[in-house]
Amino acid sequence: MRPLYGIVAREFLRFLRQRGRLWSSLARPFVWLLLAGTGFAAVFTGNAQLDYRRFMAPGLVGMVVMFGAFLASLSTVVDRDAGVLRLLLVAPIERGAVAFGKVLGATVLGTAQALVVGLVLVPAVGLRPGAGGLLLAGGAIVLASLATGALGLALAATMRSLENFSTVMNFVVFPMLFLSGALYPVQHLGGWLRLLTYLNPLAYGVDLLKHGLLGSWAGSGYGGEWSVALDVVALSGCSVVCFIAATLLIGREGGMTRTALRDRG
Amino acid sequence: MTPSPAVEARGLGKDFASVRALDSLDLDVSEGEFFALLGPNGAGKTTAVHLWATLLKPTRGSARVLGHDVVRDGLAVRRRIGLVFQEPTLDRDLSVLENLQFAARLWDLPGRVAGPRIAALLEQFDLAERRDVPVRTLSGGQRRAADIARGLLAEPRLLFLDEPTAGLDPGARRSLWDAIHRLRTGRGVTVFLTTHYVEEAEPCDRVALLDRGRLAALGTPAELKRRAGTATLEGALLATRA
Repeated sequence: MRPLYGIVAREFLRFLRQRGRLWSSLARPFVWLLLAGTGFAAVFTGNAQLDYRRFMAPGLVGMVVMFGAFLASLSTVVDRDAGVLRLLLVAPIERGAVAFGKVLGATVLGTAQALVVGLVLVPAVGLRPGAGGLLLAGGAIVLASLATGALGLALAATMRSLENFSTVMNFVVFPMLFLSGALYPVQHLGGWLRLLTYLNPLAYGVDLLKHGLLGSWAGSGYGGEWSVALDVVALSGCSVVCFIAATLLIGREGGMTRTALRDRG
Repeated sequence: MTPSPAVEARGLGKDFASVRALDSLDLDVSEGEFFALLGPNGAGKTTAVHLWATLLKPTRGSARVLGHDVVRDGLAVRRRIGLVFQEPTLDRDLSVLENLQFAARLWDLPGRVAGPRIAALLEQFDLAERRDVPVRTLSGGQRRAADIARGLLAEPRLLFLDEPTAGLDPGARRSLWDAIHRLRTGRGVTVFLTTHYVEEAEPCDRVALLDRGRLAALGTPAELKRRAGTATLEGALLATRA
């Protein structure tokens, strides 16, 4: 237990130490609410049933989960560069425990940030979910943090450096966000874009959040689009598959840093 | 029954793509020995240490550490060894103390054991006053010292030191040799050193000369000099390369 606690505690400490990361993670959803929310709300004014800012709230909480958990475990690439990954690999713990610690750290970080943001955002936009809905939303936050955290770690385990960070942002983070149903219902997407949403763990997380926070909207086509059972199974499945992949991949090349690779000659 | 060697290699080799980093190494290092793997940069020293430390998987042959196979029983190996890497392993955003506490938790040391040990190591390596500053603000030598302190923290039975003095100032270098001396005399720790500085191999019990992934010579410093017909270990090293 102590090594696991050590790994998670370090993730938390790093997060608190990086002030910029802390503030931007808390402010980001409100900036989106103000800028994207206001703009889209104007487009949707014709629809009397729909308050766009309320529709957007579960998606914004999902966004906090993704930036919190996914980017936290993706930063394992930084650990590789700093040599910390090798320290983890030479420590007397199993590879699976290293992966589990990293995923757990990401899950705790994603969950904590999403809860803090959610507690302000949900009442701010005027949503009043019942106790059951809040519980479901809480579960959705934990499960989505777990799934996106595991995905981030599996991805980080295959990367040598964050030089391709903008590639990840462009081809992973933003598509995940836009194809998650956070900003518009995914049912209107056609063809292969629709198919991609089924491969996106964040989409199941946002859907589950909508079930919890927009429960009464289900009939209008703006609440949860898939069943709660499908969401839970998909998020759990993604967590397990990505965790296994990360366990198998994390020790690759002995956690070699770029400098070491260059010097090896 | 004779005890298993502390470090053992049988036809051990490692390739990286088309590069043969380690050819075929046969080696036995006894428990309690002070052993040096000496060779120029790129000779395969770090690769060999990483194979014993279970960070890499052998391409050929087998390796055992304190009787445990590095492939089949990696966890048992890691429980018994300490390793000071050639490159830093510290989190630059955390303080020296936080880095050592992190390592202590990874090695499952309870706080009451880790606390005094960390305090003693910080004192020993002149880091006590800098313990609360982020590692990023330390000088290169101080960072190196902190990394070495980290490697000594778990008090392993077998300690691998991969080019430990590179970048270390004279004071910290002396602290390191003092620490090694204490570990060896006090607790009979096996110390396995890799270095390209000939003078660092001089006080060792035995020295292996590694050249381009092959074992070029093995023996006590005196034997190596006698065999090469030279007065210095440096001469012996040059003779094997000729």
